[in-house]
Amino acid sequence: MRWWATRGWPSHRDATPCASLPGRRLRSRVAVASSLVLLTAGLAACSSASAANVPVTLNYWSFPDNSGAIQQASSTCSAESGGRYRIVYNKLPSDADGQRQQMVLRLSARDSSMDILGLDVTWEAEFAQAGWIIPWTSANLAAAEKDTLPTMLQTATWKGKLYAVPYNTNTQLLWYRSDLVPTPPATWAQMIADAEQLAREGKPHYIEIQGAQYEGVTVWFNTLVASAGGSVLTANDEHPSLGAPAARTLQIMLQLAHSPAADPSLSVQQEDQNRLAMEGGAAAFELNYPFVYPSMQADQPQIFKHFKWAPYPRVDPGIPSHVTIGGIDLAVSRYSAHPALAQQAILCLRDRANQSLAAIKGGLPPTLMSLYTDPSFIRAFPYAAAIKASLLSASVRPKTPAYQNVSIVISHAVSPPRDINPAATLRQITGGINNALADKGLIP
Amino acid sequence: MTQMAAPPKPATLTREERRRLSEGARAERRFGWLLCAPAVIVMALVAFYPIGYAIYLSLQRYDLRFPQLTHFVGLSNYGVVLSSGVWWHAFAVTVIITVVSVAVELVLGMALAMLLHRTPLWRGLVRTSILIPYGIVTVAAAFSWQFAWTPGVGYLANLLPAGSAPLTSQIQAIAVIILAEIWKTAPFMTLLLLAGLSLVPDELLRAAKVDGASAWQRFTQIMLPLMKPAILVALLFRTLDAFRIFDNIFILTKGNNGTGSVSILGYDNLFTALNLGIGSTISVLIFIAVAIIAFLFIRGFGTAAPGTALERR
Amino acid sequence: MTAVAAPAVAAAATTAGPAMPARRKTGWAVANLITVAWTLFPIWWLVALSFKDPATLTDGSFWPIKWSWTNYSGIFHTSAFIRPLINSIGIGLITTAISVLLATMAAYAIARLNFPGKGLLIGMSLLIAMFPQISLVNPMFNIERQIGLFNTWPGLIIPYLAFSLPLAIYTLSAFFREIPWDLEKAAKVDGASQRQIFTDVIAPLAIPGIATTAILVFMFCWNEFLFAISLTSTNAARTAPAAMGFFTGVSQFTFPIGSIAAAAAIITIPIVIFVMIFQRRIVAGLTSGAVKG
Repeated sequence: MRWWATRGWPSHRDATPCASLPGRRLRSRVAVASSLVLLTAGLAACSSASAANVPVTLNYWSFPDNSGAIQQASSTCSAESGGRYRIVYNKLPSDADGQRQQMVLRLSARDSSMDILGLDVTWEAEFAQAGWIIPWTSANLAAAEKDTLPTMLQTATWKGKLYAVPYNTNTQLLWYRSDLVPTPPATWAQMIADAEQLAREGKPHYIEIQGAQYEGVTVWFNTLVASAGGSVLTANDEHPSLGAPAARTLQIMLQLAHSPAADPSLSVQQEDQNRLAMEGGAAAFELNYPFVYPSMQADQPQIFKHFKWAPYPRVDPGIPSHVTIGGIDLAVSRYSAHPALAQQAILCLRDRANQSLAAIKGGLPPTLMSLYTDPSFIRAFPYAAAIKASLLSASVRPKTPAYQNVSIVISHAVSPPRDINPAATLRQITGGINNALADKGLIP
Repeated sequence: MTQMAAPPKPATLTREERRRLSEGARAERRFGWLLCAPAVIVMALVAFYPIGYAIYLSLQRYDLRFPQLTHFVGLSNYGVVLSSGVWWHAFAVTVIITVVSVAVELVLGMALAMLLHRTPLWRGLVRTSILIPYGIVTVAAAFSWQFAWTPGVGYLANLLPAGSAPLTSQIQAIAVIILAEIWKTAPFMTLLLLAGLSLVPDELLRAAKVDGASAWQRFTQIMLPLMKPAILVALLFRTLDAFRIFDNIFILTKGNNGTGSVSILGYDNLFTALNLGIGSTISVLIFIAVAIIAFLFIRGFGTAAPGTALERR
Repeated sequence: MTAVAAPAVAAAATTAGPAMPARRKTGWAVANLITVAWTLFPIWWLVALSFKDPATLTDGSFWPIKWSWTNYSGIFHTSAFIRPLINSIGIGLITTAISVLLATMAAYAIARLNFPGKGLLIGMSLLIAMFPQISLVNPMFNIERQIGLFNTWPGLIIPYLAFSLPLAIYTLSAFFREIPWDLEKAAKVDGASQRQIFTDVIAPLAIPGIATTAILVFMFCWNEFLFAISLTSTNAARTAPAAMGFFTGVSQFTFPIGSIAAAAAIITIPIVIFVMIFQRRIVAGLTSGAVKG
């Protein structure tokens, strides 16, 4: 929070009562967050009155953040802009498919009421190819790339151009109960064996992972294929690669599904059901995002004492796991009336202070590498080192405009996991991906 | 229904009368056209134009992600869809849902119609309660069923053995979808059958009873034949309606795990795959399928098309 | 035939009431109760869920153990449900007004006038009534996104008209046919023109039918889901049933069961009221055209 020291106030000057309101509030320096809300409210109320200095409204559409971090960042940046723009944060639906659908439908209708888009890391190729988002150039590009995780930049790049700027990232870790498992398993085989042993002893033993027919199960598949040394698509992203690593992946998924280690609800589980099952005390292992940590702390202090993290289990004991990277990149809509301002607003929304805020308030791992060694950040994120290690060896999901179709092909083939038939499922995935890449055929 | 008789026409007319009549007829014709014109124009604009446009779109390669690649491809989209296992799977699911739900509804609807027709008690209450499923928003009812069958939330799921999640297994999920569909639409069937039932003269039934016909004989030999037109119309309406099932599936399973109907498939291919060409092709094929069903009913079973009844008057 | 044989039996059967044996009465009562329970239990379940305290939402109980208004105050706390509710009401009323007006004119012509092309019109509206909605969704979306109607009220009213007009024409023409011809003849004798007969004599008599049709059309719009999710993308035009699917939970990953149940209960209320007040009318409207032919 350095802005009041470095910048002057919006040139509302003193004449109108609403311009003087924020200034008085601020000098008190008490309850900064709440005053920011009032401040934007004040600016909004004034914007119609003082026509000479109307800040441009930038509509920011992103996932529904209930921590308040995005709202606070929007207010901060609006205030910092010196009256040039006002960011209005609009919430998209909570599920990724719903978010994408809303954005693509509106973009294909040339909707100009979206300026800044919070894109999931898998959509950039599609949005860029369709011409819905604009590439970053020159000074803004340099500012966007500085100190940013290279894997995340990779997700936002299409045909050599950067189309979006990483906001937060995300990756899964292995969460386990140290009261049940003193040493965390290093491989999938070991983890399943540990869980089965616990089951024999009549202790909580489930392995919580996302098995429902949706993007989450594709993430599981992608992580295992990458960890087995393979990839879903070839290096040029034009053909399916799969092969032996994919066959091995399917074996593991099938093995888990038929093992007592699997939660009986595996085939309906998404991230939140996993979290609830772990908090409910039935599980020993959970492959999930860091949001489960503060949640466990709040909901189940007893289990929290033994709630530990470890690197994602390997497939091959000799190869480190390559966990699928997730996160949000911010892009500017082609139909925005103020693309230059929107880019500046994005640079502010994802600056160090705001990423730190999102991490501490919202539990979202940042994309600026230097934050991972910042002591105040490590205090809030005790597992920062594990996350950073995981991020540096992370794998990226297939980069293609047809990603949605590719993902649907995979999730329909591997969920429910108990019905996997390795050879046939692999053929089904290969054929489906070929069709999807050629933009042929139907999606199921 | 005596009021249906047309006004009697005089047997002989003078020339003057005939002239006046034809002038009256012309005025009537003009007035008729005038009254119908707004409705006709609106229907043409909002229904027939889009259908024509759908056919046009179905002949294009048209993907919203690659707008610059749009071009005419003839019938090749039809080849793609009709040779796709995905389409035929969705088609089979739709047919199963349609056949099972309409068949069960016919039996259930007949029973409920009998109940409403015969019950000496609380007729108003029963009729109101039967109308409620018909009136309730499908999505609201579908959510009710979804929560009821969700493990850990619902009373119905809790009756099942632990660990079962009916909405994620194909066959169980389709059964739940059919159940939701029957609950929602059996009342409509009931009301149509009830109207048919009221056309069966009571004297006829009593006479048959006196003659020694059993209840079953009276049902199959007197009531069913007399109700045939009502039954066929009810079946036609419900079959066409069930074939386009969307809401219940969308809420209950989103079409996952092999439970998608053709309407769900069309929706996904437009709004998820963003493929207007393929999506429109599926739309047109569903339209054709519905037209074939209607044709079969009207020709094959001799259903009086609801409109022909109007015309006869 | 021996139809004359049993007038006494007939009287007994129709006015049975008090004279009926207790056992048969019990049988009917049980059958009625089962029917009522079958039709109402999914609705009760929604209501029960909606009144459950958030902490007890997942107790699976059929009866709320701890009653609470939390879910209702929750959905009325933000515009996430209020705005769609307003959209639903507005779009429903406008569609109803337009289609009942146009349909009254057309239905009168169909029922009472002779003019060439009548058969075509009937066939046309029947055809539309049989349209699968999904067939219109594709082209409508593409048209609306290009002319700027996507995600607006008119963008939904237009396709709703496509389906409600045939329904309204169909229901209304059945009502018009039941108005006695004599009135019309009498008016004609008095020298009234066709137009006067329509506006002064027949239309007022058709008001009950028009009201019934309006209820049916409004219920159709209120219920509609496919267009509502396809042709809208924000609460600017999204109707209540569509908005329910987009409720967000307390956290990004929680599924808002309580809010959905409360919203579902609220959008069910008007329907239950309509049904209780107008049940006879609705039944008449639904079955009029279909069966008596």
